[in-house]
Amino acid sequence: MAEKKSMIKFKPKNYKAGDVIDVDFIIIHPMDTGMAKDKKTGKIIPANYINNVTFKLDDKPFTTMKVWETVSANPYFSVSLKVPASGTISVEYTESTGEKGEKSKKLTPKG
Amino acid sequence: MIQRRNFLKGLGIVVATAIAGTPALLNAAEEKAKAPKGPNEFSYDMAIAAITSGKAIETSDKIDLVVPEIAENGAVVPVKVTVNHPMEESNYIKAIHILAKENNNVRCADVMLTPMSGKAYFATRIKLGKTQDVVALVETSTGNFIMTAKSVKVTIGGCG
Repeated sequence: MAEKKSMIKFKPKNYKAGDVIDVDFIIIHPMDTGMAKDKKTGKIIPANYINNVTFKLDDKPFTTMKVWETVSANPYFSVSLKVPASGTISVEYTESTGEKGEKSKKLTPKG
Repeated sequence: MIQRRNFLKGLGIVVATAIAGTPALLNAAEEKAKAPKGPNEFSYDMAIAAITSGKAIETSDKIDLVVPEIAENGAVVPVKVTVNHPMEESNYIKAIHILAKENNNVRCADVMLTPMSGKAYFATRIKLGKTQDVVALVETSTGNFIMTAKSVKVTIGGCG
């Protein structure tokens, strides 16, 4: 399957080294529980949800999480980070089907 | 030789068990399909026991759990947890667990934090099947457990 659409956001937009900011990760994903039925065919939609997300700063994980299908579709995860002088944030995720994906964004502290 | 009387009696029993039996079997199969699967999808008590391994939990006001009082749509319920606790090398918040008491699978997210985070904060959106309590269970690096719970009223369930 093609890579899922995802994005990383920093809040607030302007930040300095040493600030504590929010790092948001948003991904377009159905998060199927494996319990819902397809209304047209009447067949059960197989479970497919994200079960692991790792937030990394220069390949060093700072927040790891295990999630279950109880998280809403198109999930949004927000964590905090103390901004270093420079670095790159990367977010890796694993789906229950075994698919993997990654997204990264460079930190640009001002001042 | 089969007598008519006995044959009819026997037939009656077979039909009766067939009628009584089928829905029961169907129900059992349906319940089995609906029952939570996997090692982590336990009832609330078992999930708590699995996380804390039997340690005592204190209710604390240090945790700021923000959930809507009334959720119109159970499929998307925003949850925000902030813990008023230092994040230093020797003393920090190790994990934030989010649980929904009445869901088929009570566990929503286990978040493992490090001192690099700078603040014990986590936010996401979860599904709620019906009106229930959302629980934030927090583990500190010293091995203590604290928790807080808040009730969310759900107008339209969001599971399945």
